[in-house]
Amino acid sequence: MSNDVKFPPKPKRTKLKIKLGITLAVLAALYTVALTTTGFEVRPSASSAWHTLQRIFIAPLFDADTRAAFPELVGYMLETIAIAYAGLSIAAILAIPVGFLAARNMTGNNLSYIGKGILNAIRAIPELIFAIIFVAAVGIGPYAGVLAISINSIGMLGKLYAEVIETIDMSKVEAIKASGGNRVQAMWYGVLPQVVPEFSSYAIYRFEIDVRASTVLGIVGAGGIGFPLLLATQQRNWEDVGMILYVVVIFVTIIDIVSGKIRNKLV
Amino acid sequence: MLEFKDVSLTYPNGHQGLKNINLKINDGEFVVVVGMSGAGKSTLIRSINRLVTPTSGELLIDDENILKYKENNLRKLRTKTGMIFQQHNLVKRMSVLRNTLSGRLGHMGTLRSLLGMFPQDDVNLAMSNLNRVGIGEKAYTRADQLSGGQQQRVSIARVLTQKPKVILADEPVASLDPPTAHKVMSDLKRISREDNLTTLVNLHFIDMAQEFADRIIGLRDGEVVFDGPVSEVSDKTFEEIYGRPIKEDDLLGGDED
Ligand SMILES: Nc1ncnc2c1ncn2[C@@H]1O[C@H](COP(=O)(O)OP(=O)(O)O)[C@@H](O)[C@H]1O
Ligand SMILES: [Mg+2]
Repeated sequence: MSNDVKFPPKPKRTKLKIKLGITLAVLAALYTVALTTTGFEVRPSASSAWHTLQRIFIAPLFDADTRAAFPELVGYMLETIAIAYAGLSIAAILAIPVGFLAARNMTGNNLSYIGKGILNAIRAIPELIFAIIFVAAVGIGPYAGVLAISINSIGMLGKLYAEVIETIDMSKVEAIKASGGNRVQAMWYGVLPQVVPEFSSYAIYRFEIDVRASTVLGIVGAGGIGFPLLLATQQRNWEDVGMILYVVVIFVTIIDIVSGKIRNKLV
Repeated sequence: MLEFKDVSLTYPNGHQGLKNINLKINDGEFVVVVGMSGAGKSTLIRSINRLVTPTSGELLIDDENILKYKENNLRKLRTKTGMIFQQHNLVKRMSVLRNTLSGRLGHMGTLRSLLGMFPQDDVNLAMSNLNRVGIGEKAYTRADQLSGGQQQRVSIARVLTQKPKVILADEPVASLDPPTAHKVMSDLKRISREDNLTTLVNLHFIDMAQEFADRIIGLRDGEVVFDGPVSEVSDKTFEEIYGRPIKEDDLLGGDED
């Protein structure tokens, strides 16, 4: 009986095809403009790509000089992690009031709308740009990095916190209100206990992101392992570049594994 | 004394929740409010602690019109008016004792309460109330590890810890099984008697209403259609309140266990 099954006529996809064609044409035009106006050329570098890759990934393991730099690089990596940790700690706490302000069920539609708008604007700006601004404002060093990381993390955590708060069971808040508690008490006793596990989980997840983000802050002088990375690439010192990559990969992986385990326990 | 004088409430969407309610409730009375779903039972008792605000008339508690209350007076009113909800509204991840103590929040300064610095007197009061409802040994257990009946007892203890004059209970046993519902209602009645608390309970089940009430108020479409002592109540009264014959669903059953 399967040939009795009736299908509606298939939609014609001409519109889609036209859109796709136009998109491709525009992209091709943009590439042409970009490549011709920026003087971009594919030029063979002094050494072959293969040779460079070998110097990055293989050589550091056997080169005694590079291996001697390991402890120093670990030091830089620990500074990187410290920047991420300090920035995140500030953000995880400051994002709480921000999240409450941006949550619709706490402050009403208008304030929530404004709050979320500000948070989105913050999130739209990359850490590196904040880092450049703070290096100019407070000087070169990890302090600028901490500020950059924390601002950016507030943007994301504030929004996530607000979303968590919007899903809570408001009847607990009503119960506190009904017993004569004020707004602050209602939040502390009615809302916080419901959201703390999710908040912590998001904060830890954000720490993973912040460690990664902190690794490049040094490029603009905001501290961490980005600084030796910048030096090494400028000197075409591929062995050191490789060693730095190894250090970053090792630490980031360990942090991801540990934080993933903790997050699993929390929620 | 609690007095409704021509109280009406129109919700923002235009729906009339209460229509010209006139009632006098004496101190220490145990009143059960019955009526079909949507009759206005919740609206009626939530007016008394101003979780909703009637749009006309006067609602007097000890001769003061509480409909005029703002911020500070409102908080004071609510500390004296304990409310028990159908869903117990305990904070799951907090201990039973702490949940009970949260009944004191209205009496405390904000900073003290944020730091969790409850006066020892309050802790003693909370603990003794837990003992009174028979779950003292659960004081340090997390609230979400209790059964439904135990959780509802904690909310009774929490409300007592407010040291209220009035207790409002909005279908407090609706989500419990019959024997448990019966026990929780007995506890509520006993405590209300012992402390001479004016108590208004919304109940869905008519056999329960008859068993526990001193006085029954029947609501239909936001109007009081019956008000009298439980001795005057018969099945026919309920049929009038409900506007239809009594069904099996209207009875809790299983009173004896
Ligand atoms: N916030 C509200 N806005 C509009 N209508 C409401 C609101 N709350 C309740 N109502 C309506 O008012 C009537 C009475 O509701 P309620 O007091 O909850 O009845 P009951 O508790 O007896 O079931 C119902 O028809 C309900 O739909
Ligand atoms: Mg109701």
